[in-house]
Amino acid sequence: MTTNTARDAAAADGTRQAGQTGGTSVSLQNLSRSFGTTRALDGLSLEIAPGELVALLGPSGCGKTTALRIVAGFESADTGSVLVDGKDISSVAAARRDMGMVFQSYSLFPNMNTLDNVAFGLRMRKQGSAQRRKRAGELLEMVGLVDQAQQYPHQLSGGQQQRVALARALAIEPRVLRLDEPLSALDAKVRLQLREQIRTLQQRLGTTTLFVTHDQEEALSMADRVGVMRQGKLVQIAAPDVLYDDPATPFVAEFVGVMNRIPAELQASGNPRTVTVLGSTVPVKGEEPAETQSTVGGDGPVDVLVRPEGLTMQVMENGNGIVTHRTFLGSVTRVRVLLSGDVAVQIDKPSSEAAAVALGTSVSVTLPPEPVLIAPRRPVTP
Amino acid sequence: MATVADVESGTQAPTPPARPAARRRSFAVWRWVILLIAGVFFLIPLYAGLRFAGLKAFGKVFTYPGFGSAVGLSLRLAVITTVLTLVLMVPTTVYVHLRLPQIRRSMEGITILPLVIPPIVLIIGVLKVAPGFLLGTPYLLALVYVILAMPFAYRSLDAGLRAFDLKTMVEASNSLGAGWPTTLWRVVLPNIRTAMLSATVLTVALVLGEFTMASLALYVTFPVWIVQFEQNAGPVTTAASLLALFITWILLMLIVTVGGRSARKRGGAQVSLFSVAAPAESSQTMGEPE
Repeated sequence: MTTNTARDAAAADGTRQAGQTGGTSVSLQNLSRSFGTTRALDGLSLEIAPGELVALLGPSGCGKTTALRIVAGFESADTGSVLVDGKDISSVAAARRDMGMVFQSYSLFPNMNTLDNVAFGLRMRKQGSAQRRKRAGELLEMVGLVDQAQQYPHQLSGGQQQRVALARALAIEPRVLRLDEPLSALDAKVRLQLREQIRTLQQRLGTTTLFVTHDQEEALSMADRVGVMRQGKLVQIAAPDVLYDDPATPFVAEFVGVMNRIPAELQASGNPRTVTVLGSTVPVKGEEPAETQSTVGGDGPVDVLVRPEGLTMQVMENGNGIVTHRTFLGSVTRVRVLLSGDVAVQIDKPSSEAAAVALGTSVSVTLPPEPVLIAPRRPVTP
Repeated sequence: MATVADVESGTQAPTPPARPAARRRSFAVWRWVILLIAGVFFLIPLYAGLRFAGLKAFGKVFTYPGFGSAVGLSLRLAVITTVLTLVLMVPTTVYVHLRLPQIRRSMEGITILPLVIPPIVLIIGVLKVAPGFLLGTPYLLALVYVILAMPFAYRSLDAGLRAFDLKTMVEASNSLGAGWPTTLWRVVLPNIRTAMLSATVLTVALVLGEFTMASLALYVTFPVWIVQFEQNAGPVTTAASLLALFITWILLMLIVTVGGRSARKRGGAQVSLFSVAAPAESSQTMGEPE
């Protein structure tokens, strides 16, 4: 139903739609920024196509927020530049960048009601009172909060406040929308709803959007492309499914989704190289990232990285593992199996099959003969 | 359904809250006892003053020579001092909060200095170095009062700014296209209204009651006038000081009511004479604002 109201409002606002089809491109070029001795950003480059939603994902302190703040004009880069539609905006003040922003913390002005909050940016653009009330009303309709127009921020729930903040950011028809972990202060259910709502609106309006989050689920479910950051660098940027299925490095593999690490032996002589793991020999995945190559040179111990759905498991007397735990996740059940050598792996099974496997059952865990990702051996943590 | 609920409430519900309720009751009793003792402590001198002055003295106060000009000077000083204090302290405190949060501690130290330095030392020093065009004008005294008011004003404003997310508000305002002056006027000031009110109340109260400096610098402010006249007309000056007390009260109430009305209408910060004093106190006792 929210989708409907959004569609109606957007349809009523035809001029804007037409104007947006061109969209705005954003380009971050070789951005670096240090705070004291810490390098928050280390040569970050990123292209955002018109109308695209790009998420920057990474652990805290990886520089994603700094990147966003540089785009916003709240910080300046030591080196590098930000181009919007091909023009360098590095020297443009934050107030003149024409970019809407939704913040992590609640950022509505407490002294203004919902309508005035949404109309604030229009007021700054010297629009007439009637005109900005009309426009603010439309935006509130889009986010489904028309009834709350006269209420003050402290009378709204957290989710409502963030929706008003979104309406306020969109009211100025920003060239770029910036979302700084807008959902992290909300509870799980509201987060899910708002996630969909933001994405629907963003696609409908075609606003180029940069979204910063540490929540991989949020990034994967909302973004056209997800950039994974680490220590101020962009490690990989790709569509969510590519990122999940074909991670460029062990870091990305383990940061995005659940990943098993299984000790294996590398045979570097073959072409392609192969690893022996769980009793079978499988090829190593094609284009090997530099990170792995440099550290994993010749034959020797490595870890194989496999998703829970990439392992097969069969009940078998004297198998290579014992079922220690089961987590019901709906249609699938995640089974935890302790392999010999104190290695625990997680395997996803359809819940109907998993129900038959009792705790303590001896099972045989095997790997299909498909290319696998490898990483330097890491000491087993209990 | 109803029976189930009854059984449940009958067996479980009343026992856990029983003890806190009893404790709360005894708290309430003690609150009233302390309030009563404090009330007696403050009211007895007032009552004694009233008895000593007699009601007739109140009428005479206004006809005494110098009363009007003394009150006028005090009020003028109050206005000038308050305006100067706010104009000086609001931007400073906002700037410190936004750009130099690391010096907040030293700011607290610096702003408390006027409380540590004896007024006599301060005013004699000032009189020695004051430029001629300021000597004898209310502005000289007002400037000194600005310094005296600094500890109170800074603490009020500091607490007010800590009570909301200043950095995010300013950035949100900037991102929507508002420049600095607009952000300060439309976003920051309305949200530290209570703190500014608190700073105003404390400054006005300070100016209306200050004696040492005014007297040493030979200004006949209201307190100075009271002391001068006490020599020859005891009851009248007692009536005058009681009057001063009431006028100050009424003035403060007025500031609070007028300033707080719109905030209350919005359901924002609740403003009362007591809550106005609260931020300053809480920051002095290092309490974090909610």
